[in-house]
Formats: sequence, C-alpha cells, structure tokens
Amino acid sequence: MKVVVADDSRVMRQIVVRTLRQAGYDWWEIEEAEDGADALGKIRASRPDFVLSDWNMPNMTGIDLLRALRAEGDETPFAFVTSEGSPQMREQAEQAGALFLIAKPFTADIFRETIDPFIG
Amino acid sequence: MTATIDWAPVLDTDPLLQISQDLFATMIDAEPGHVHHWVGSRPELVDPRYTWVDVTDEQIVRVVIGTGRETGEAITRALLALPDDAEVTDEDFMDAVGEVANVVCGNVKSLVTHPGTLTIPVVAHAAPPLGDGTVLVDACLSWRGAPLTVALWLLP
Repeated sequence: MKVVVADDSRVMRQIVVRTLRQAGYDWWEIEEAEDGADALGKIRASRPDFVLSDWNMPNMTGIDLLRALRAEGDETPFAFVTSEGSPQMREQAEQAGALFLIAKPFTADIFRETIDPFIG
Repeated sequence: MTATIDWAPVLDTDPLLQISQDLFATMIDAEPGHVHHWVGSRPELVDPRYTWVDVTDEQIVRVVIGTGRETGEAITRALLALPDDAEVTDEDFMDAVGEVANVVCGNVKSLVTHPGTLTIPVVAHAAPPLGDGTVLVDACLSWRGAPLTVALWLLP
C-alpha cells in the first residue's frame, strides 16, 4: 500500500511516520512531501492508495491540496493530521471529502483507532 | 467588523498547562507526569530561545513559548527519537520547537474557536515585541525541572 505523508515540518513527518509504524502500519510504503504543492506532484506521479496531510503548509495548504485533487477527479482516500481539531475544521475537512481528521498531539493508539475503520 | 471570540476557555494558565501536558506526554515523554506549573519565582532562561505562532484574523492571537537552548535541544532529541548525546542542528532545533508552538497554538485556536489561520512558526533568540498588545496568559511551566514559558498574547 502506497501512502503519501505531507507536512512542512520534517520533524513532524518523521513523528507521523514513526507513529504509523508503532500503530502497526509498518508494511506501508510511505513517501514524504514537504508541502501541498509537493504532495500534489507526488500524488499525480505515484498514484498512492492513501494521503495523510497536515493542514497549514506553505505553497499549498492541505485543504487546497484535497480540493485540487477532487477538482481533477482524483478520489484518493485523504485524511488530515493537524494541530487544529475544532468542530469547524472537522466539518470543513469532511465537506471537502476527507475521511477523518486527527488532531495533534496524537498517539499510536489514536492512529490505529481512527485509521483502521477506513484503511485497515 | 471584529469577530466575537470567547476567550474564557484560555483566560487561566490551566488550559495552557493541560495542552502542554498532553503534548509532552504523548509526543515527547511517551508518559505523563513531567510537566507542571513552575513552583517559586520565575527563573531566567539560560541562552533563551523563543518560538511563536499567530492565529491571524482581525484580532491576532500569538502563542509565545520560551525555553533555554539546552532544554530546546532535549525536546528536539525526544521528538526525533535521538540519543541523549546526539548533536542537534539548528535546522532540527527550529523545526522541533516550532512544532511545539504550532501544536499549542492550534489547540488554543480550537478552544476559543478563533476563525483565523495559523502562521508558520518563528524561532528567535528574543521574544517578539508585544507593542500595543495584551498578555492574556503568561505561564511558567517546568518540564523535567527545566523552565518553559508559555504565553498567549492578543495583538491589535
């Protein structure tokens, strides 16, 4: 299973990938992207099975990335890992077509409980 | 027209303490119990570094976190799962402590349902000027015995 993890923080990308491994997704083939624009190019090129993205990023935000994908007919399963987890953000994410939103800080248990019903 | 924001949930140091405790327990210490209110007079930060993130809108909310360089390096090593004696580059330091501010600010924004957008974290040797702003909360916390300041500002 190919997965793109997008976050402008290299530290946070490393934490997300490490937490995914701890949550049991150690068989995922993960490609990292450093912002939304980078992720868009990599998604177009590698056609991943799942995208896990930060929201606030330079060049292209996570929500703009999701909207850009859906606008071009790309229905790749997409979810957010972001520091903002307000009901408004969750609603906005859902309306744009995201499967779920995980708020930072997170644990491997939270990843497993949230991701498994959709991707497991 | 100025947006109406309910500041009540954060007008106490406890919400910032709670957010900080959750962040450190889950992503830095892998266990709870290492972040508390600082007891006693507020200490000077040794070789200080400050990191801040704004929520921009008609009212700007700024979360400012202050720590000593050595403490920031320990936080960076923990976030990156590096050994205790690993050298910490400036790039990793700024990225890691910036993410701490980013997570705290995002959680504050969620508490007060501020309609604005988070900025990219800034890291510097000095705190930014407060100017005509107002300090809503100014907490001094202890992480494993080292001081960590967490402040919430409202800027015009």
